[in-house]
Order: sequence, then structure tokens, then C-alpha cells
Amino acid sequence: MNIDRIKNELAQAWTVAVKDVRVYYLRPGMIMFGFLMPFFMFFSFSVQREGSAAEGVARLLAMTVFFTAGAAGPFIIPTERRIGTYDRLLAAPMSLLTLLLSKTAVGAFFAIAVSGLALLAGLVFFSANILQPGLLAAGVLLGAFSFSTLGLVFGSMPTTNPGDVQMPSTLLRWGLLFVSGVFVPLSEMPPIARAISYISPLTYAQDVMNHAVLGNGLLNPWLDLAVLFLSGVLFLLPSIKMHQRAQILGR
Amino acid sequence: MNNAIEVKNLTKYYDKFLAVDRIDFNVKQGEIFGFLGPNGAGKTTTQRMLTTLLTPTEGRILVNGHDLSTDSYSAKRQIGLVPEESNVYTELSAWDNLMFTASLYRVPKQEKEKRAQELLEIFGLWEMRDVKTEGYSKGMRRRLSIAMGIIHKPALLFLDEPTPGLDAQSIRAIWELIRTMNADGTTVFITTHQIEEANQLCERVAIISHGKIAAIDTPERLKANFQRVQSVEVAFEPYNQSQITLADLQGVNNLIKIADKWRLYTEDPSALLPRIIQYAESHQLRLVSLNTLGPSLEDVFLEITGGEVGIVGNETQVEKPAKHGMGGRK
Repeated sequence: MNIDRIKNELAQAWTVAVKDVRVYYLRPGMIMFGFLMPFFMFFSFSVQREGSAAEGVARLLAMTVFFTAGAAGPFIIPTERRIGTYDRLLAAPMSLLTLLLSKTAVGAFFAIAVSGLALLAGLVFFSANILQPGLLAAGVLLGAFSFSTLGLVFGSMPTTNPGDVQMPSTLLRWGLLFVSGVFVPLSEMPPIARAISYISPLTYAQDVMNHAVLGNGLLNPWLDLAVLFLSGVLFLLPSIKMHQRAQILGR
Repeated sequence: MNNAIEVKNLTKYYDKFLAVDRIDFNVKQGEIFGFLGPNGAGKTTTQRMLTTLLTPTEGRILVNGHDLSTDSYSAKRQIGLVPEESNVYTELSAWDNLMFTASLYRVPKQEKEKRAQELLEIFGLWEMRDVKTEGYSKGMRRRLSIAMGIIHKPALLFLDEPTPGLDAQSIRAIWELIRTMNADGTTVFITTHQIEEANQLCERVAIISHGKIAAIDTPERLKANFQRVQSVEVAFEPYNQSQITLADLQGVNNLIKIADKWRLYTEDPSALLPRIIQYAESHQLRLVSLNTLGPSLEDVFLEITGGEVGIVGNETQVEKPAKHGMGGRK
């Protein structure tokens, strides 16, 4: 692939992402699953729990990135398939990977924006202090990438009804939420539970937030970031396969 | 002349269902090519394979020399696609829809603005350019969808059922635009079941039936091959339903009522004319009009696809009296 082609594909990915931001961010499906849900979940599990404000902020940031980033794929792609606009994107002169990365960016931008609001709330209302802002930014960025591509896996299923994939996607994320170290710190988990928690990429996002906000994560922060990046790349593979399969099946 | 599209042994199975059965055809550069077929014949499946939206089970497609299986990127850059559904973004204005599509095809900024203005004016949408398209009528969305398909001036334009449901004015505007683009060098591939549209626009047509190409030629040559479906059209005064007995006249293969007229299909119109005149005299009817007609492209289409006269279009088929059978053409 030559330089011009790469430049073109990057510009096309940006074009699609900006269009999606304008068209879909204020849709009820996005607000419900991407904006309100993480806050409701946070308040549901945080009420009457002991812990510092800083712990609460770290938890809110991890949950916000997790739920918000994954909301875009399951909503946008089936919606576009239903109204026929997805064919326009698939027929355009860009690779499937470029299209998927543009959709990933839409979820990631949403997560970064909403987690920015969560951070602002933490700083203003809880007077939280961010110990490592650079690590926090990297955690939000890579977490947004990983969780957005996770959402994309569901969006890539050959359906034209967002409801068909939004519920299973939400159920999976709840499952990952409960096994990860968001509500029970990794250090307090029994060994089996901790081993299971390592399956969930949210565990690593929460650990990065703990490092950045509290200064006391359990794992190496570089490991956390590497896992978030690699899981994001890994989640792209089933999406590519499902798109190729849909092209064969004609769905 | 080089080929804009070359299709060889193209086959598509959906699971065990054979939708497209080893078809071969070429579309010349600069041609308006019609792809006709009844519903379910395989025309949309073929068009989706030609535009990279569907992977063939077997076969080879070249677009301006680029093999879709190995170099789809180069082919896609030359293709414009207007799908059957008017797939515009209803949350965006017409202007923003066009800007988005132009950016997707990497049209330079100044050129895309000039081109967008040009297209919006041609399609009568310029005054509404900043209005969100959710408030547009079906016809306006259709026109915008076509504008989005051609904003990058594709060398090869695919149009899937471009005009159904549109008013006569919009249809004429779209046909005129297709002719203009073609005159400027764009190859046009139209998938349609609107026979008249193909007759008006296409230099060559392929008729697909049950997944196979049943005929491929110019409309006039196809018609010439089907002289047996000539007809005589007659109107009497006073008009009444009892004139259905025209079907009993010798040499009439089929009878169709069209508004206040009757169309009698025959292999020998000249032999039938005196019998019709005699019929009018014996029933004390005045002949309002009497015309002989050659086979239409629709007749050819129906002959080839095994359909019966009267199924396509606005005509109503009349059953022939029992002694002649049920009116279907042999």
C-alpha cells in the first residue's frame, strides 16, 4: 500500500467518523446505552458503599469508558444496514479495515468525551486529585479503543435491527463488569475470582485508572496498557471475518 | 472498443439455492446497458456482485480491466452506485450528504462544492440544500441519492431501479441526466424491470431469467426476432364488455383490454384487419381507431421470461373463451 493510498484511507476514515458523530451521537439508542447506562450503573453500585471519592472517580472513569465506547458499534452498523447507507460505505474505495477503524473511532470519541465529563464531575464535585494525568489519558484512549472494537464485534453481526445485538452486547458487558475488579478490588479477590477477572479487559482499564487516580494499581501499568491495545486489535478480527461472511451470504 | 465490464462464468449460490447460473456478458465502455429481469431472476444479485457488495461463488468480473477479486480498490474508484433504496442520511441536509459522499471519494474541496451546486440545481434541490432531508419527499430523496452516486463523476455508473414511484417530470429529468452523463463518456449499467425505461435509454439489454442470461442484444434487434407477437389495437363506439368475443376471431392468439381499447395479438395482422372490420359491421359498431403494432420490448421480455402478456405494465388481461384456452401466449 503506497503513501497516497494510506493518506486517502485515513481521510476517508475521518470523514466517516465525523459523519457518524453528527448523525448518531444524539440518537436515543446512543444516549441510553452510551451515556445514561454507565452513570446509572455507577450510582446503583456505589450508593452506601464505603470508599474514598478518588476510588469512586477511578471506578466511574473505567465504567464510563467501558459502556460508552461499546455503545456505538451495535447501534450504528445495524441501523445503517437497515436504511441502506452501509452499502454506500462498503462500495466506497476504501478497505474494510479502514471502515471498521472509522466505526471504532466513533465509539472511542464518544467514550473520550463522556469520560471527560465524568472526570470533570469528579474534579468539581469530589475534589479528586489525578496523580498521573498522562497514564489516565493513555488508559482512557486505549480503553476506548479496546471497548469500541468489542462493541464492533456485535455490530458486525449480520442484522438490520440494533435491538438484536444491543441486548446481547449489554449482557456480555455486564458479565465482564461483574468479573472484573471494578467493585471488588483485585487485591481483595480470592485467587479463582482474580484469575477469572484477568479475562475481562475492563480489569486492566480499572487497574490503569487506579494507578492514575489512586496511585495503587495491582498490575504493571504497562501491562494494563498493552492488554488494552492487544485486546482491541484482537476484537477487530471477528468483525472482519463476520463482514466477509456477510458478503458471501448476501446479508 | 474496450469493455467497461467483463463477466465470465459468474455464479452465485445462497446456500443450495442457485441465484446466478454461470453467466457471461460484456458491457462496452460508453454504453448504456440495461439488465432486465422479473423479480427474483438474479439481477440485483448480479449487480451486487459487480459492485463488490457480494462475493461470487464462482467466476470472474473485470471492471475497466481491474479484477474485482484481486484489485477491487482500483475498480471501486471508478464506480458510482445508486441503489434501489434512496440511502440518504436523513439527519443531514442535501448539501452535507453530497459533501460527505464527495469526501468519501476524495473529490478536491473546490471541485466538490462546484459539482454539488451543479447537481442540486439540475435536480431542483438547490433552494432546499440546507434543509435536513428527513423532510424531503420520496422523489426529492431519490434525486439526491442519484446526485450522491455521481458526484465523483464515475466512469461506470450502476443504477438499480432508478425511477419507480417517481412523477413523470422527475423521470424525464433523470433520463436526461443519464443521457448527458453517457454523452460525456460515462458507461451506465441500469438494473430495472421497467421495460419502457430500458427501451428509452439502453443501447443494449440483457434479459436474465432464472439466473441465466436468456437474451442479450439491442432492443430493436430483440424486437425483430419476435415478429410473432405483433398485434392490432382497436377501439369501437359504443364500447362494451361483450366485445370480449373478439377473441373468437380467427388468427387471434390473445386478447387484452387496455383502457377503452382492445389489443389482439396475432401472427398475421394484415389477415386480421378485414375480420375486425367485418366484426364491427356485424355488431353495428363504429371503428374509432385501428392500428397495427410491432412487438414491444415488453412483449419480448414476457416471451423470454415465460410471463404472460398483461402481467407487466398497466394492462389488464382478459381470459380467452374456453375453446381457445386461457389466453396465455404459446
